[in-house]
Amino acid sequence: MSDGSTFDVQVLLEGARIVAVRIDDEMIVKEVVGDWCEIPVGEDVRDAVPALIGLEDELAQELPYIQMPFVSLGDSHETPVAISVQRDWKTEALWVLLRDVSEEAAVQERLVHQHNALSLAHRELAAARDAALMADNAKTRFLANVSHELRTPLNVVIGGASILRKPRETPLPVEDVLAFSNDIHDSGVLLLQLVDDLIDLSRAETGNLTIHEEWCQPSGIIDEMIRLTRGLAEAEGIVIAYHPSANTPEIYADPRRVKQILLNLLSNAVKVCKPGASIAVETSVAGSGDFVLIVRDDGPGMSEADLAIALEPFGQPNAETRARGTGLGLAIVRRLAALHQAEFSIETAPGEGLAAITRFPAERLAASAGR
Amino acid sequence: MKAHKVIVVGDFGVGKTSLIRRYVLDVFSDQYRATLGVHLYKHTDTIPIAGTEEQVRLVLWDIEGAPLPGEQMMRYSLGASGAIVVGDLTRPDMAEPMRRAADMVEARLPGRPIGIALNKRDIAPAPDDASVAALKDRYGALIACTSAKTGDAVPNLFRDLTKRILGGKAGTV
Repeated sequence: MSDGSTFDVQVLLEGARIVAVRIDDEMIVKEVVGDWCEIPVGEDVRDAVPALIGLEDELAQELPYIQMPFVSLGDSHETPVAISVQRDWKTEALWVLLRDVSEEAAVQERLVHQHNALSLAHRELAAARDAALMADNAKTRFLANVSHELRTPLNVVIGGASILRKPRETPLPVEDVLAFSNDIHDSGVLLLQLVDDLIDLSRAETGNLTIHEEWCQPSGIIDEMIRLTRGLAEAEGIVIAYHPSANTPEIYADPRRVKQILLNLLSNAVKVCKPGASIAVETSVAGSGDFVLIVRDDGPGMSEADLAIALEPFGQPNAETRARGTGLGLAIVRRLAALHQAEFSIETAPGEGLAAITRFPAERLAASAGR
Repeated sequence: MKAHKVIVVGDFGVGKTSLIRRYVLDVFSDQYRATLGVHLYKHTDTIPIAGTEEQVRLVLWDIEGAPLPGEQMMRYSLGASGAIVVGDLTRPDMAEPMRRAADMVEARLPGRPIGIALNKRDIAPAPDDASVAALKDRYGALIACTSAKTGDAVPNLFRDLTKRILGGKAGTV
C-alpha cells in the first residue's frame, strides 16, 4: 500500500507475513501488498480467500465488519490466518487483511484440545457416576424389598410357633392349633417360593439362568398347570378353561420354564380374580407363524401406571394380593420369555380384565423347523 | 459456477470434522483433534437435479465446536446458504446442544435449509421415531443417522441439503 493511510501503517507494523488485498466492487483483486501467499491481481478474490464466499452482501456495506481470528483450509493444512476486512476511508478501497496466526493457533489449539478432552472426560465420569448411583439405588430398593418380603412370612412363622409352644394350663383348641399350623405352613411355602424366585431372578440378571430346550407339546404342559392351579381357583370360586388351537404344534422350548411361565401367570390371575370370575388359556398360531400363548382373565384389570409397577420386581400395585405372592412372578416371566426369544406383553385396562400374551417366534415351531 | 457456503455446527467432539472429511476426502480417523476457529473445505460435487447431473461448488465451514453457540460461531455463520447441525448419538445429553445450535442457525440464517446429522450411528442405537419427528417438525430439517466412520448416510445428507439450497426437493435421508 502506498498512500500511507492509518490503515496501511497498522498493517505493516503488525508483522511481515501479512497480505493486504485491495478489491473492487466486483470482487476482483486490484492490488496486493505483502510477501506471503500468492494472490494474483485480476483474479476473483473469493478463489484466493474462500472464506469470503457468501459474504458479498457484507462486503458491499460501507463499513463491513468481518473479523475471523482463526481460519485455515482444512484439506491442505494451509497456514491458519486471521482475516479482517476494512474500508480505507480515504480511498474507499476495500482491503482484505490476512495475518499468519500459526503461533497463536498452535497454542490455542492445544488449549482447546485439552479443554475439550477434559470436558468429555468429565461428562463421561458424570454419566458413569449417575449410572452407578442408579444401580446402587436399585440395589438398595431391592434389598429393602427382599427384607420386607422375608420379614412378613417369617413373622407369621415365629408368631404362630411362639403361640403354639407357650406353656399354658389349658391347651389351645384343636381348631386354633390347626389354624396356626396352616399359617406356619403357608408362610413356609411362601418363603420357599420367594427364595426360589429370588434365585431365578438373580440368575436371570447375571445371565446365568439357563434353559434346556427340547421339542415339547404345549397342550400337555398347559393341562398339567391347569390341574395344579384348579384346586386353588375352585376354592375361590374361579373357573379355569383351556381353549387350544386345532393341532397345537410342538415348540422348541424348555418345558420346565414354560411350566413356570404358565404357573406364574395362572397364579397371578387366581390372586386378582373375584369369585365367579373365569380364567382362560388360549393357544394359536399367528399369521406370522408365531406360537401365541394367552392367559386371559376377566378380573379387575389394571391401569397403565399399575401395569408398569406390576412388571417391576416386587411390584404389586394391588394391596389385596400383596400378602399372597412375592411380586416377582411377572419379572421372572418376562426374563424366561426373553430366554426363548419370545415376546411377552400384557393387554389390560381397569375393569376390563387382563391378557398376558407370550409369543414364541415361528422358528421355534415344529412346522417351521421342518419336523 | 457459484460456490455455496455451508456451515457445520454443533457441540465439540460430535464428529463435525469427521463428517466433512468423510464427504470431501472419503477418509476417517479415530484420533480426536479439536478444531480451532474454522477449517474450510472446498468441494465440487456432481448432484442429480431434475434429471440432470449438475456440478456444484461448496465451501464447507467446519466451525469450532461448543455446547453453546458463541460469538465466533455466530460470526462464522454469516452468509451461509445452509447448515448442518451435528449431534452425537452416544451422548445422553445430545439434544440440548443440537437445539441451541439449530436455534442459532434459524435466527442467523432465516429460511436457509438445515440438515441434522445424528452421528456415530455405528456405535449407538438410532433414536426413537418420536424424537426424530420432533426435530424434523421443529426445524423442517433433513435428518439422517450418520456414521462418519462407515460413511453411512453422510454423502446423501450433504447432497440433499445442497439440493434444498439450490431449490430442489430432497427427501428425508
